[in-house]
Amino acid sequence: MKKYRSLLLLVLYIVLPNLYFSQKSDKIWIDGLGRSFFSSDAQINEEDTISASNISSGYNLIDLNTHINPFETIEIFGQVRIKNEFGSFFGSGTQIDIRQLRASGIIKNKVKFSVGDLFLKQNKFTLYNYDEELNFFENNYNSSYKEIVDYENFYFENRWRLQGIQTNFSYKFDRFIRTLEFDLFTTRPRGSSQINSGLNTSISDMLISGGSMVSKLNKSFTAELNYVLLKELPATGTVERAIRNPVYQMGINYNNKSENSIINHKLQAGFSERNWSYKSVDDSTSELNKGMFAEFSSSYFKIDSTFSLNLGYRYVDPNFRSSGAQTRRIEMNETNVGSIYSLYSNDYLVRPISVFDIVTDPNIYNQNISGTLMSFDPIFSNALPYGDATPNRQGIFLDGKYNSKNKILNINFKTSYFNEVIGQGTTQKRNFFTILQSSDINLKEIFNHTKEFDLSFSTMNQITSREGDSIERVNLNSQHFNLLIEKEILSKLFLQLSLKRFESKGNEYINKRNEYGEIFTFQSLNIIRVDNLYCYGIKYKYRENVYINLQYNLWNSNFNNSNYPDLNFQRFLFIFSIKL
Amino acid sequence: MSKTFYKLSVIFLIISFGCSKDEVEGPLLNEIFGNFQLNSSFIISNNSPDFSNSNELVKFHCDFNKSIEWKISILGLESGSLKEISGFSNLIDSNQINWNGNTSQVPFFKKELCAVELSFLNEVDTLRDTINILETKVYDGIVVADFENGIPQEAIVFHQFSMNMTFDISNDDPLEGNNYFKMGGRMGWNEWFLGSLDIPLDLASVNTPATDFYINLGVLSGINGETASDQFINILVSESTYPFNDDLSNNASDVFQDTMEVYKYQIRPVDWYGWKMISLSYDQFEVKSSGGNNLREPKNITAIKIQCQSCPGANANCPENMGIDVRTDVDFLILTQGSDLLSQ
Repeated sequence: MKKYRSLLLLVLYIVLPNLYFSQKSDKIWIDGLGRSFFSSDAQINEEDTISASNISSGYNLIDLNTHINPFETIEIFGQVRIKNEFGSFFGSGTQIDIRQLRASGIIKNKVKFSVGDLFLKQNKFTLYNYDEELNFFENNYNSSYKEIVDYENFYFENRWRLQGIQTNFSYKFDRFIRTLEFDLFTTRPRGSSQINSGLNTSISDMLISGGSMVSKLNKSFTAELNYVLLKELPATGTVERAIRNPVYQMGINYNNKSENSIINHKLQAGFSERNWSYKSVDDSTSELNKGMFAEFSSSYFKIDSTFSLNLGYRYVDPNFRSSGAQTRRIEMNETNVGSIYSLYSNDYLVRPISVFDIVTDPNIYNQNISGTLMSFDPIFSNALPYGDATPNRQGIFLDGKYNSKNKILNINFKTSYFNEVIGQGTTQKRNFFTILQSSDINLKEIFNHTKEFDLSFSTMNQITSREGDSIERVNLNSQHFNLLIEKEILSKLFLQLSLKRFESKGNEYINKRNEYGEIFTFQSLNIIRVDNLYCYGIKYKYRENVYINLQYNLWNSNFNNSNYPDLNFQRFLFIFSIKL
Repeated sequence: MSKTFYKLSVIFLIISFGCSKDEVEGPLLNEIFGNFQLNSSFIISNNSPDFSNSNELVKFHCDFNKSIEWKISILGLESGSLKEISGFSNLIDSNQINWNGNTSQVPFFKKELCAVELSFLNEVDTLRDTINILETKVYDGIVVADFENGIPQEAIVFHQFSMNMTFDISNDDPLEGNNYFKMGGRMGWNEWFLGSLDIPLDLASVNTPATDFYINLGVLSGINGETASDQFINILVSESTYPFNDDLSNNASDVFQDTMEVYKYQIRPVDWYGWKMISLSYDQFEVKSSGGNNLREPKNITAIKIQCQSCPGANANCPENMGIDVRTDVDFLILTQGSDLLSQ
């Protein structure tokens, strides 16, 4: 191993100067990211005399992105990660990984293609990586953590990172229609791998393929078609059954632009099918689900971006299944546990995922497309746990934005009222009312300060209710409050104070699904839970993407349950991040 | 075109608002969390069955208001035999839930009175009745040894000559019939092998694959509530074509020698008290000596050996065995096809 490290260092020594010279010719250029991360966590639970009172960990890493352009129209991109965990000596404990590889180019100035690691997104009902719970309006409340979570999990503009091939091209016309654009891809998000070495069993390859067609029909109308297919190839593994899940979407968009505003109407609908086929029986399928969705929305935008409003109605069938759009970022089950103090108390209880884990821990997040609905925790996201593609929902939504012209006030809000199309475990249906808002106030402008001074706060309230007898009745109320005060005390040096409080109270039932994603039972939930996260710190920003952040975090979870002792933890955090 | 768009949108909204269904996803909550209630009495179709008639079944019926884990227990009041039937449903359907006289736990039922009990998980309700067995069930299989007429003809009994060796027929506590074969004793020197019983077989007419071919053997263990440490049974199956009882050297290894096609299963440890029925499909046997094709073909089986072994008291690992006899008695060695004995 030492031999290989020496060889690598030698190669870097020889190659790096050459890269510098090559950069001049624009054929090879480098960017990337460097990060030092250190955290020291301490548990301050009086009842826990077994767990270590203090745990510290950290790492240094460099991601080197090499872009090679042998021709103007071809780029080869490779990302190499060198990571060294704290506590390891020079060389030992160092990991070197190829993190991304991609070749892309343009053929005859007409057809774009990419091969390798792709970041793909289609429509919100076919292929879309929805944000995790408690994250709305791309806030800055815990931006240092959020950047790491997203970067480490390849979350980028709600795209899924998949490996495969993609191509797109477009046509322009002078009659009937104006343009026609195509985007096609095929990827393999999961390769065949061994399940049990003793029995020599392995799971099959999973492929996701799809295509989009967008056409500008005239000045006002645009039409779109999206198709995505998730499929397992049974011949590539020993598993008896294989999933198949095609999803179709079509939509039409109407834009009316006036002098000061744009009015947009969008009507879209689609359907899905999902089943399993069996190797041993020809043409056999089981657990067939067929479902559709439809959405109509109208938007009003002021051209100067000071105001926008969007109102719509959505129907998603209980049997609508779209793996690419319904896969969640966090699987909320007992096996997915936080990286620190995953067991706690003298009874070695599994620590449930807390607000702190959702905000800070990249390891609880998922990067793989799931063929069945993943589990969710209703206290965090009950109305739309699978985003807009959440099955068994119909209702209205309204969202809007206001930016004052003097740049003092920025307000975002969203509200929705949905109910179930069919009941779960009863003919009674749940109702979901959600309202959330986020406000940014520029105190610098108000108080005429010369240095930055911002106040942001947001609130979310989600109420789930269901009528019925004492067993059927559901009443769950979740509230979430965020506050961030950021003050530039010296040039580029910011004092930060943030508070996150989450409270959930009431009763609900958690769905338990089998291997085909069908509900087989319910787990009753009666909860009064409060999570708090306080962060105090300073941040020195060399530039927007180059900073040092020192933080002290204090967080707790109160379960109000004698079987689950409350959690109290604190963390000291140091991050030095450089993004080139 | 914009008018058409608006018309389409209005039609969509009208249709969508009407999309509410009275269907239910998942099991009913009231079935899972509701109070348990019996909707009918516990009905037994036949309280005096004659199980010697293979078509005779005792059928059970009961229904309740929610799906629940239920269990029917049938206890032989003389034999102590126990049959348990369980399920998770809101109905005990007499077309599916029945009893043919078999047992879940040996000894076997006798001609006796049985107590029947229907109970429900986490519920206090328990329903009771009785069944009087007129004739017991006749198990379907190839009986290799029931020891009713002594040791099978041509069988070889071999044992060491140490303390309290009991390799003989006995009738004080049989599993089936009146007799059983005692295998035990106490070794005075550092030797694991106490003795064995070898029986020749001719299974040429059997066409069942190894996965569906079962070797069932009753094993009795324990003396005064204690068992010797690390006592166990080896079952060896020979597919050798060498003549049986041709070579008694080397602890009567005969047709089970290292150069022959022999398969082995080890029941280890034998650490229970009383009788237990051990059922093994032939495919679970490992290759002991690869003198053949290693295919485990039931039709080629020519002999079976039951070996009694134990950690000797003279061994530093188990000095406590100096004070206790090994006991791995056996009875009712029967070969079945399609299912193991107790599943019949």
